[in-house]
Amino acid sequence: MRIPCPYCGVRGLDEFAYLGDATLIRPDPAAPGAEAAFHDYVYLRDNPAGLHRELWQHASGCQSWLVVTRDTRTHAIGRVEVARDVAAARGSGAE
Amino acid sequence: MAEPLVARSALRPHVAPHASAAGAHGVTLREVENLTLASVAALRGREAELVQAVRAAYGLDLPTGPARVASGKVAFVGAGPGKWLAVSSAPTEFSTLPAAVADQSDGRTVLRVSGPKARETLATLIQLDLHPRTFGPGDAAMTHAASIAVHLWQVDDAPTYEIATFRTFAATLWRWIVEAGQARGLDARAED
Repeated sequence: MRIPCPYCGVRGLDEFAYLGDATLIRPDPAAPGAEAAFHDYVYLRDNPAGLHRELWQHASGCQSWLVVTRDTRTHAIGRVEVARDVAAARGSGAE
Repeated sequence: MAEPLVARSALRPHVAPHASAAGAHGVTLREVENLTLASVAALRGREAELVQAVRAAYGLDLPTGPARVASGKVAFVGAGPGKWLAVSSAPTEFSTLPAAVADQSDGRTVLRVSGPKARETLATLIQLDLHPRTFGPGDAAMTHAASIAVHLWQVDDAPTYEIATFRTFAATLWRWIVEAGQARGLDARAED
């Protein structure tokens, strides 16, 4: 599997570290029902057969966090976005 | 008055022994000593100010990608989005730049690999394609060589490559390069 890093170019899988689902958003701990929301956030994962947006870090390269769209059936890599841009676009406080 | 601390080479002869093949040398390995190194990271919202400051102080345009720009004794090598490694062969005060600057002079070791077999030697350690078609003078990359994190850049068409690594890994990387160059007419000599 090769991932095109927006900074470094196409690199092999060995340079990247996988984190997981990129679509999760940390619930507000002060909101009502926070305990159940955190249970879902921490433990419950979808296991899609198909496109999956996931977080990878180019750990042996430029250290950027990336949001990679990967097809779980074929390992075909679709879009690769810089995670900070994705976070900024959705206005969450990751930046 | 405080005594200035001067970094000693990480490559003492007992960890980086001399190695020199008989006959013509296809690849030469040396340490690049007495460098001033600093990591430079742009502060959010002040990127343009940093670009201006580097241009004013050193006459260089900071590269936006993995590339190296050099003028005189000073060079800047791309080290990630908004990050650079500043390299100078003379004492240089990089901390005046409007950025997050951390001195790395005693934290990294820079090795120079050159000669007609340099590319072939590095190809045994690095998975990157260093063919001139895709990697030439002025190009830089961060990757790993034998699982050691390296930041390398090409200086000229000899070809000459310089490889920066954390100093605690320097001797191990040295020996890996010696091993890789063994059959390619290697001449390796750490100054002592």
